[in-house]
Amino acid sequence: MKILIVDDHALFRAGLRMLLATIGHEVVCIEAATIDEATTLIAQHTDLQLCLVDLALKRENGLDAVRRIKELAPQIAVVVVSGVDDYATIRSSIDAGAMSFIPKSVQPEVLTHALQHVLSGSVYLPEQIISTAGDLPQKPVLTPRQMQVLACLSRGLPTKLISRELALSEHTVKEHIALVFQALGARNRTEAVIKASRLRLQELPASVRG
Amino acid sequence: MTPADADAERSAASAREQLVELIGLHARAMLRMPWVQMLVVLGIGFLTLSFVSPRTFLAWAAASISIELIRARYARGVLRRGYEIDPRRVHVAFVALAAISGGVIGVGAMLFLPKLPVYQQAVLGATLLVIPAAGVAVSQSSRYIQAAYALCLALPAGATWSALHPGQSLGVAGLTILLCAVLILAAADGDKLLLRSVSIRHERDRLVRDLEQRNAEVGAAMERAEQSAQARARVLAAASHDLRQPLHALSVYSAVLAARPSPETLKEVSQNVDQIVRALGNLLNGLLDLSRLSAGYYVPERQNLALESLLADVCAEYTQSAAQKGLRLHCEWASIRLLGDPVAISRILRNLLDNAIKYTEAGEVRVTTTLEWSDRRAIAVLRVSDTGKGIPLGEQARIFEEFYQLDNPGRDRTRGVGLGLAIVQRLCELIGAQVEVRSSVGRGTCFSVSMPVELAEPPPALLPSAQTEATLRGRRVYVVDDEQDILKSTQTLLEIWGVAVATAQSPEETDLLFERAGIPDLMIVDLRLGSEEHGALLADRLQRRHGIFPVLITTGETSSEALLQANQRKFTLLQKPIAPEVLQRAIVGSFVSR
Repeated sequence: MKILIVDDHALFRAGLRMLLATIGHEVVCIEAATIDEATTLIAQHTDLQLCLVDLALKRENGLDAVRRIKELAPQIAVVVVSGVDDYATIRSSIDAGAMSFIPKSVQPEVLTHALQHVLSGSVYLPEQIISTAGDLPQKPVLTPRQMQVLACLSRGLPTKLISRELALSEHTVKEHIALVFQALGARNRTEAVIKASRLRLQELPASVRG
Repeated sequence: MTPADADAERSAASAREQLVELIGLHARAMLRMPWVQMLVVLGIGFLTLSFVSPRTFLAWAAASISIELIRARYARGVLRRGYEIDPRRVHVAFVALAAISGGVIGVGAMLFLPKLPVYQQAVLGATLLVIPAAGVAVSQSSRYIQAAYALCLALPAGATWSALHPGQSLGVAGLTILLCAVLILAAADGDKLLLRSVSIRHERDRLVRDLEQRNAEVGAAMERAEQSAQARARVLAAASHDLRQPLHALSVYSAVLAARPSPETLKEVSQNVDQIVRALGNLLNGLLDLSRLSAGYYVPERQNLALESLLADVCAEYTQSAAQKGLRLHCEWASIRLLGDPVAISRILRNLLDNAIKYTEAGEVRVTTTLEWSDRRAIAVLRVSDTGKGIPLGEQARIFEEFYQLDNPGRDRTRGVGLGLAIVQRLCELIGAQVEVRSSVGRGTCFSVSMPVELAEPPPALLPSAQTEATLRGRRVYVVDDEQDILKSTQTLLEIWGVAVATAQSPEETDLLFERAGIPDLMIVDLRLGSEEHGALLADRLQRRHGIFPVLITTGETSSEALLQANQRKFTLLQKPIAPEVLQRAIVGSFVSR
């Protein structure tokens, strides 16, 4: 598995690289300190599957990095790894297309756990957003197809890519998405991802991962 | 000044002010006097015109009104000049004018009373005595002015009355004197009232001033507190980010360790953790230093120290790290002694050198000190210059901010924490030094620290040869100069040579020195002493009085009367600026030729 780490703090990058290499299987990490470096590397490495992005880059906003990466390569799952972890920041990260959010301030074992999640292709969101107040629907019963669509949505994939990945027409995918939103009581992708995470829907194996 | 002197001075100032006040009031009253006098003259004319010759009356009336016009005119002049006047002289003038004014009316009494029938005599007499009484109320006079006026009016009037009515002379004399005394006492009372009002006003002014000063102090203290709170908040915000970052990294490494890494990874982990912990330690130390410096806990010492040896020690610490980067570390020291804080000064150089070596990839780092003069003050300038990449003009103002770092996008803390220059600046503020930066991108950077040299140091401390030293040791030399700095530096230099030095700043002090300690082995005296008696005249007078002794005259002049006189007396002249070796040669020469 090939992973890109975007962080301006070299020693932190090195630590993440070592941790990923230790807990993952055959993980290859490449590192970037700026958005430009990241986009260059993404162009060079078309087989990137995962990207860990810090939000506080020197003179640059990590959210821009997330958006750029999703534009360039929507199939890459982007995970934000950040020193700030307030609700608004987490929401805007997911808005920007991130699949997961790992606060830097978590305990080491939580960090390991979160990265394992992310490596396995599931969504990780911090405890506090899962326990945040807000009315939660009953755990909906989703069809396997809808679960697949939800997993794709979580990865930040656009409709076109979902339809390609699931071998469905875009129209059908849109219908599935609408049903998923309805089942979760979500108005958009971000709410759907957060609610699915709160309902722990995502902990089922993601069958789309090939 | 002793407290008693101060009190005396204050009361003298207050007396002057009281007099000025009184003169002002009196002068203002005097402006009205011609009109009042006109009424008086009309009244007297009404009373007397049928009995005295019109010519006599008109002459008297003209004189009387003229003197009041003169008084009014003088008063106007005084009021216009305001505080420029000499109050004593003006007061004397007012007393004199009052005497003349009173006298003219007195003369009127002498002229008119004898010519009048008894009834008119009585009315005129009463009127004349009422006039000075009215004067007390109208003219805000001092007791002197009042006395002059009243006496000059009442005495001739009383005398004339006595002459006309010899039988009443005793009573009239008594009444006249009584009237005058009462009037003078009334005026004195007015004086006292005035004094009280002046002192009350003084007190009020003092209170207002005190209050304003107190307010200003409080305002300044609040502003300082505000600024320091802002600075602290800024530092705290930056520090919390910079402290959290290494902690996050440590947390990652801790996770790596828990995940049982490979031996190679383990090795890398330990290296990186070591780096992080060091950087964290530096950061914490820097922050603690900074907060200690800004909270005012650090009180700089004032040690007499040799700058070059202090700084050379610091440079020696950096020889190796410079060599490791392939940089030449070049040091050049002027010999400077100053009163300063060795810890602060070496810390300043250490931080500057740290930076210079950090930001220079090739070339050299130069450290120099020079002694410079600005406004007749000696300043030691420490310069640390490098051939590094330079600082863009736009960033030069910001480099002294806490946590500001040039071109360290990774905030790689092995490259320092960004507190070094902030600490340099705080230290400079504390020791009264100024730090400046000049830089051009691609060429290099030069930091200069200007420290005041309070101990004016002898230029190169020229150590005498053994033979010369034997000649100089224990000699008693008087140095006379009106400039403290020059006295100090000359004394220091001579004392290094083993000479026993006594100094004087004026001819009077020199006289005292001779009275007390007799004649010296040599007197070095500046031609200009800031007094009437220049150096050559002083030396001449002292030699006549106490006997011959060698004299060296120092001067910055090239032609003047004083210089000519010095030449005529065949004193050895030394032209300023005087190099130490020249001074030494001249001193030795004056002993040998003796």
